[in-house]
Amino acid sequence: MTTSSALFDDLPETLPAALGRAAERFPERGIALFDGRGRRHDRRTFVQLAAAVQQAAGRWRAAGVGVGDVVLVALPTTWAWFEAWLGAVQIGALPVAVAPAVGFGAADAQLDKLSSLVERLDAKRVIASAPFLAAAEDAGRQGLATAGIAVDAWQKLTPVAGTQPVAKAQDIAFMQLTSGSTGHPRAVMIRHHGALHNACTIDEAVGAGQGGPAHTWADAIVGWLPLHHDMGLLGQLLLSLLTGVDLWLFPPTAFLARPRLWLQELSSHGQCLAHGPNFAYQLCVERLDAEARQGLDLSRWRAAQSGAEMIRPETVKAFIERFAPVGFRASAFQASYGLAEATLAVSVDRRGLGMRTRPVPQGSIASELSEVVCLGQTVVDTEVRIVDAAGQPLGAEQIGEVQVRGPGVFAGYYREPEATAECLVDGWLRTGDLGFQADDELYLTGRSKDLLIIRGHNVMPHEIEWLAEKVGDSGGSHRCGAFSIARGGQGEEAILVVESSDKDLEVRAGVERRIRLEVSEALALPIADLVFVRRGKIPKTTSGKVQRRQLKEQYLDGLLERL
Amino acid sequence: MSEQSQASQDILRLIGSIAGKDPSTLQRGQHLTVDLGLDSPKALELLMALEDDYGIEISDEEAADLKTVGDILDLMAERSSLA
Repeated sequence: MTTSSALFDDLPETLPAALGRAAERFPERGIALFDGRGRRHDRRTFVQLAAAVQQAAGRWRAAGVGVGDVVLVALPTTWAWFEAWLGAVQIGALPVAVAPAVGFGAADAQLDKLSSLVERLDAKRVIASAPFLAAAEDAGRQGLATAGIAVDAWQKLTPVAGTQPVAKAQDIAFMQLTSGSTGHPRAVMIRHHGALHNACTIDEAVGAGQGGPAHTWADAIVGWLPLHHDMGLLGQLLLSLLTGVDLWLFPPTAFLARPRLWLQELSSHGQCLAHGPNFAYQLCVERLDAEARQGLDLSRWRAAQSGAEMIRPETVKAFIERFAPVGFRASAFQASYGLAEATLAVSVDRRGLGMRTRPVPQGSIASELSEVVCLGQTVVDTEVRIVDAAGQPLGAEQIGEVQVRGPGVFAGYYREPEATAECLVDGWLRTGDLGFQADDELYLTGRSKDLLIIRGHNVMPHEIEWLAEKVGDSGGSHRCGAFSIARGGQGEEAILVVESSDKDLEVRAGVERRIRLEVSEALALPIADLVFVRRGKIPKTTSGKVQRRQLKEQYLDGLLERL
Repeated sequence: MSEQSQASQDILRLIGSIAGKDPSTLQRGQHLTVDLGLDSPKALELLMALEDDYGIEISDEEAADLKTVGDILDLMAERSSLA
C-alpha cells in the first residue's frame, strides 16, 4: 500500500515525544479507565498522564533502573500500569507487559511464569502487587522476589528529578511477548518508529472504508483488550496517544464477566472504533440474550475490528444477525491480520463492505473450509509475499507461507539470535502463517507450524476442531485441540482432544462416534486417538487461543487427565 | 451439604446457576475449573455476581487463590460473616 495520510508526514520520533505531543495538541482529551468490575471510571487528560509518566520515569531511576534494563510489568489495567510502562519507556528501559493472574487458581501458574521470565530475560525489576510478591517470597522464588517491587512501594519512591527522554526513533522502545499459541513466549523487540508507524497505519486503514483516517471522524476508542496484548497496546493506547482520540478502557476481567459493558459503552459515545478477537464477538453472541440486547444502540460503531486470531465466518454472521436489530451495521465489521513480530497490523480490510469471504483455492492443501475471510490489503509502506517451502515467491491464489516486510517488522527476539535468524530472513518476517493473496488482498488458511500431514494430505488442526465443535456438547469456541504425532515409522497420526462437561459415559461415546463420523466424512481422516478431558483442561492463552503445542506435550508426557 | 446455613445455600445456588449444576450436588472439595467447568469468563461472572449480591469486593489476588467450592464459601464467610 502506498496510500497515505497526512499523519505519516508528522510522525513523532519516539513514544515519549508522542505523549508530549498529545498533551500539547489535545490537552482536553485523554483516557478514561474503568475499575476491575467496570462500574466506575476515572478519566485523565493527556496532560495529567504526561505529568504522571514524568514522575514515574524518575521513580524507575530511583529504583535503580537504567537504559536497556528489562522491566516486567505484571499489573492489571490500572493507572499504575500506564505509569510503570510509559515511565520505563521514557528512561530507555525495556518494559515487558505480562498478563496478570486472572481467574480461579491462577496464582501458582503465575509464579512459575514470572520466575521463568525473570531468569530468561534477566529482568532488573518486576512490578507486581504486594500480595503476589509476598507469595513469591513464601514459595522461595528467590529471583522473582529479589527483582520484585510492589506497586504501592514503587509509587512511594521519591522520583529522581530531571529525568529526560534519551531515545531515538530506531531504538528499542519496548518488548511484547509472543501470544504463545506456539512454544514458550519470546520477547519481541519493537522500535519507537516501528510502533508509531504501525499505530499510524491502523488509523489510516481502519478509516479507509469509512471516509478517511479514523482520527478525522472517531470520537472514541472503546476497548477492553489487555495492554500486554499487541492489539490492546497498539490499537488502543498507542492509537489514542498518536491521534488524540479519547480512549475508554475496561480491564479485560470486566468484559469477560460482563460483555454487555463493552457494547453498552459503545452505545453511549459518538462515532466509535473498537477492536476484538473473534472470541469477543462470539462471547457477545453467546452471553447477550434478547433482553440483554435491549437498550443497546450500536449505530455509531463505525469500525468493528476483528483480528489476532482466525476469524470464523459463522461468528461474524451470528453477531450481525443478533446485533443488527440494535443498530450494528454489517459494513462496520473489518477483518484484519497482524502479529506481535510485525508490531501488530499487517493487513486490514479497507473497503468498508463488511466481511467478505472467498472459497479456498484448490491445491496442495486439503481444506475442509469452504470459505475464508478476506483480511484486506497490506498496510502503508508494508509488503506481503507468499512463498513455498523452499522460499520461492508464489503467484496469486497459491497457498504458502505469509512473509512481511516493512517499518513495523520487529528488531528481533531479545537475546535469542538463533530464533531471530530463523524468523527474519533478508528483512522478511516469516510469520509461520499460511495463506494466499487474491486481488491484492490477503487470506489466511492456517498456521504452517501446526500443520498435520496425514497420509500425504495436509490438514490444518482447526479444520478438525471446527468439525468436532459442531458436534454435541463441545459447542462454543476453542473447546477442542488437534495435532499430530509420529509414532515409529507409521507417519503422523491425528490426535483430537475434546473438552467435555458430560459425565455420562454413554453420552460421550455417542459424541465421539459423531465426531469421528464428521471428520471421516469431511476430511477422509481417521482420528488415531480421541481424548475427552474436563472443561478448561486444554491449555489456552489469556486471549483464548488453543495452545496446540503445549497440548501435544501434555499428551505425549501422559499428563492429560482422560475422562 | 445439608448442614449448611441459609447463607451458604444461597452461595451454592449462585455457583450452581453459573456453572450449570444442581446446587445440591456441589461439594466443598470440588474444583471450580476442573470439576465445575468454570472457564475464565464464567469464573469472572461468578466473582462479579458474588460482589453484587453481597456488596463486597474481591481482589484479583483473592480470586487467583480460589480453587474449590469450599474456598469460595470460606472467603464469603470471612468477608461478610454470612455463613
